[in-house]
Amino acid sequence: MVETGHFALVLAFALSLVQMLVPLVGARTGNRRLMAVGGPVAVTGFALTALSFAALATAYAGSDFSVASVWENSHSLQPMIYKITGTWGNHEGSMLLWVLILTFFGALVAVFGSNLPATLKANVLAVQGMIGAAFFLFILATSNPFIRMNPAPIEGRDLNPILQDLGLAVHPPLLYLGYVGFSICFSFSVAALIEGRIDASWARWVRPWTLVAWMFLTGGIAMGSYWAYYELGWGGFWFWDPVENASFMPWLAGTALLHSAIVMEKRSALKIWTLLLAILTFSLSLLGTFLVRSGVLTSVHAFATDPARGVFILCILTLFIGGSLALFALRASTLTAGGLFHPISREGALVLNNLFLTTATATVLVGTLYPLALEALTGGKISVGAPFFDLTFGPLMLPLLAIVPFGPLLAWKRGDIFAASQRLMAALALALAAMLTTGLFIDGASVFAALGVGLAAWLVAGALTDLAVKSGIGSVAPAVMLRRFAGLPRSVFGTALAHLGLGLTLLGIVGTLSFGTEKILTMRPGETVELSGHTLRFEGLYPQKGPNFTEDRGHFLLISDGNADGEITSAKRFYPVRQTVTTESGIRTLGLSQLYLSLGDEGNDGSVVVRLWWKPLVTLIWGGGLVMMVGAALSLLDRRLRVGAPARRRKLAAAASMSST
Amino acid sequence: MLFWVIAAILTLGASLAVLLPLAGGTKGASAAGDHDLEVYRDQLSELDRDMARGLIQPNEAEEARAEIGRRILRLGAGSQLGKEAPRSSRTARLVATAAVLLVPLVSWGLYGALGSPDLPSQPLTERLAKNPADSSVDELVARAEAHLAANPSDGKGWDVLAPVYLRLQRFPDAITAYRNAIRLDGDSAVRQAGLGEAIANAAGGIVTAEAQGAFDAALKLDPANAKASFYLAMGLAQEGRKTEAAAAWRKMLGQLAPDSPWRSAVQQALADTAEPPVTAGKPAAGPDADQVEAAQQMSPQDRQAMIETMVAGLDDRLKQNPRDEEGWMRLIRSYVVLGKAGQARGALGRAVAAFGADSEQAKKFTAFAASLGVTATE
Repeated sequence: MVETGHFALVLAFALSLVQMLVPLVGARTGNRRLMAVGGPVAVTGFALTALSFAALATAYAGSDFSVASVWENSHSLQPMIYKITGTWGNHEGSMLLWVLILTFFGALVAVFGSNLPATLKANVLAVQGMIGAAFFLFILATSNPFIRMNPAPIEGRDLNPILQDLGLAVHPPLLYLGYVGFSICFSFSVAALIEGRIDASWARWVRPWTLVAWMFLTGGIAMGSYWAYYELGWGGFWFWDPVENASFMPWLAGTALLHSAIVMEKRSALKIWTLLLAILTFSLSLLGTFLVRSGVLTSVHAFATDPARGVFILCILTLFIGGSLALFALRASTLTAGGLFHPISREGALVLNNLFLTTATATVLVGTLYPLALEALTGGKISVGAPFFDLTFGPLMLPLLAIVPFGPLLAWKRGDIFAASQRLMAALALALAAMLTTGLFIDGASVFAALGVGLAAWLVAGALTDLAVKSGIGSVAPAVMLRRFAGLPRSVFGTALAHLGLGLTLLGIVGTLSFGTEKILTMRPGETVELSGHTLRFEGLYPQKGPNFTEDRGHFLLISDGNADGEITSAKRFYPVRQTVTTESGIRTLGLSQLYLSLGDEGNDGSVVVRLWWKPLVTLIWGGGLVMMVGAALSLLDRRLRVGAPARRRKLAAAASMSST
Repeated sequence: MLFWVIAAILTLGASLAVLLPLAGGTKGASAAGDHDLEVYRDQLSELDRDMARGLIQPNEAEEARAEIGRRILRLGAGSQLGKEAPRSSRTARLVATAAVLLVPLVSWGLYGALGSPDLPSQPLTERLAKNPADSSVDELVARAEAHLAANPSDGKGWDVLAPVYLRLQRFPDAITAYRNAIRLDGDSAVRQAGLGEAIANAAGGIVTAEAQGAFDAALKLDPANAKASFYLAMGLAQEGRKTEAAAAWRKMLGQLAPDSPWRSAVQQALADTAEPPVTAGKPAAGPDADQVEAAQQMSPQDRQAMIETMVAGLDDRLKQNPRDEEGWMRLIRSYVVLGKAGQARGALGRAVAAFGADSEQAKKFTAFAASLGVTATE
């Protein structure tokens, strides 16, 4: 079985070579037979990769220690779920997951792309084949998961204990679906550049793919953030860690791409923007892979570091980013410009949005790469952390968030900023009220907190205003309004939910940062501690044994109004195989807020250091991410064809209070 | 064999995926412009539906319709310019042949270089379930471990496993196994001696106080236990009490049966004590037999003075030649015996520094010092 998987992987590599060459030649020479090869080859390549992945997963599930990667990253005593998730909890396996998703998306294009122009489809599949071939070669040459050991050791070296968590089952697959999803947009862009023209069907295809990738990436980042929050025991949800930035940069660029793709589909404008953003987004995904996997950064994601891998990924990076940008420089000018628009219009707002987002991406890129460049050049080590990003990324985001509610209210082609402002008056009043309430009535609220809460309220109210206006609030009877509301296209709900989710996430961040409290103290059994109105009694530390670890579990009783209100437990785990200690934090969700505690060092007399945090509204940070995902999913379900109906001059459009979608 | 059949089938499937489209006919060739036209037509009908649902106003719909119309016109103009003509099929045939050949050649060639086709899958449960006669020692141990994990109170099992661990040099596991065997099946000289051996080996061969305790217990149960006697004498030798050690070993030689396996070990040990082994880096010599003999005839003050001089000499030698494991241990022990805990600690610190804090030796020193009650810090 293992060797079958290995053989299937090699065969998939051979097919990816065919996929990258034959359809390309076919498209150049106009040979339909050659072009037709792309589809079946992409599907077969996916089937073989899936077989290969299944073989590896079986080896992991069955603790086959004759496979080197299983021996290095698994243990016979691990619970079955971690044996399986361990398949991608290491460098080799995660790269296999990467190509599995890549070939899966390629196969989807092949199967559902029958309505694409033949040359476009052939070129897209060829570019997918190139990416696939590069990564298959990378896997086979430097990170082969099927390397065998003979004789086989009898016991494995265990999975990194930090990764022995349900988060591993969710976070990497979601993140990869996001990263790799953008490869389709990239392939479409490069294919368009190769052809030198963009068809109408091009935009119809790119928008849903961008949405899918963006949705999964949002979920992956949110999940990763929550995982780090509860697993690392520090109670932080975002560290501006280079690895986090590596996933955040494609998200920012992808968000810009998503908005451009909408314009592109509806108005065939912003073609150049869309192409460039698609290339940049996938390039940043590749850069993320490079940063994380080359050993340039040391982190929990780095697994094993190997200079050969770093050089190899760097070559892939140079080839794809350099190649695509060069092609862009050569061909971009030949693309015909699309529909014209007035600066103040939905298109104009989206261009502004793109400018802000790309600048923000550049900021994060500088903050991430500068320390690495400095270390490479001078050997000096500096760390660029939260202060840098607070000063650069923050000020860029503030105006962007402030103009978000205007976007959906502006009409296509030429908009009316005054009309939009009028409609947003209610939202503005609400935001000001929220700001004042926060500033005046909450003790210790800073200016930042008041502004933040106000901005979050502005985003949420703005998103709701959009829905209300499009249902015709104020201009039609309530019954008609309800009917219109129900009849609104799902993409309108998608937009509103995504912007609403953004507001919720912001509210969570501001709430946690501004109103959170923390305490670090030494507690003996029986002692109580109070934090922001919650009383906890330390009941004691009890040793326990898990399947492959031992732990000291601290039990705490939550007391509300004098009554016991359940138990919170936190543990320090020791994994003997890796000689590693991990912290299992204890979290109790109360409404939208959380009480978070983690154990520190133990004293000799039964006392233990306890770190306690009260994190108000913290769940909104990830809840907002989920809302954004739901928005994207709704928008994706909107299968209508889209035409942006431009508004007539203002006099004519005044009666029509809503803009179409 | 089965694997090769599967590989052949997979290769065939992959080749067919390349071959079939190449062999197939060119059905329904349509110009690229057709797809665009289709999209625009769909957009127009969508526009009508939106207007019917009241989502857009008639005037907006009119403008949108005009714009789509302009796009269709532009499409017509463009497609007339870019008519594709199928070019020579010679290149096509060449590419097709190459592609069909490439799949089996690349896959079998690469797999031949990378794969291990003869190695079957070895899931753990299968390995543990097969006939014990075919199993390796590791597999047998793993099987016993699985049994003991399920029945941790099986004293007999621990008793069997403990010496195996010892032989496999898994000393910490051996210690646990011996302790469990003693706890569950009672004390015996063999188990205590085995425990002592495991502890001593875990400490890098140094007979620590803990190991000594186990050997003493073994001798109490069976005064003739050769292993315990041997290691206790070794402990004396490690403390620098070589005469006593030699005397103990000689006594053992008198008592051991002529065919005892311990005979050669004892003789070897005796030979080693008589002339300290010359290891790399010229080990610092402690007081030799004559010096000790002389010391015993001195007055207590003189003897103390002589011992201190010798220890100081050893200290100096180690300063010049710090990479001497045995010397450091002797020095630490000497300071402890002299009651100079501070200097013993200092010596431990220097010993650790001499070999590097992460080295095997440093761990050995720390363990050894700990057995004497000396720790690196207060």
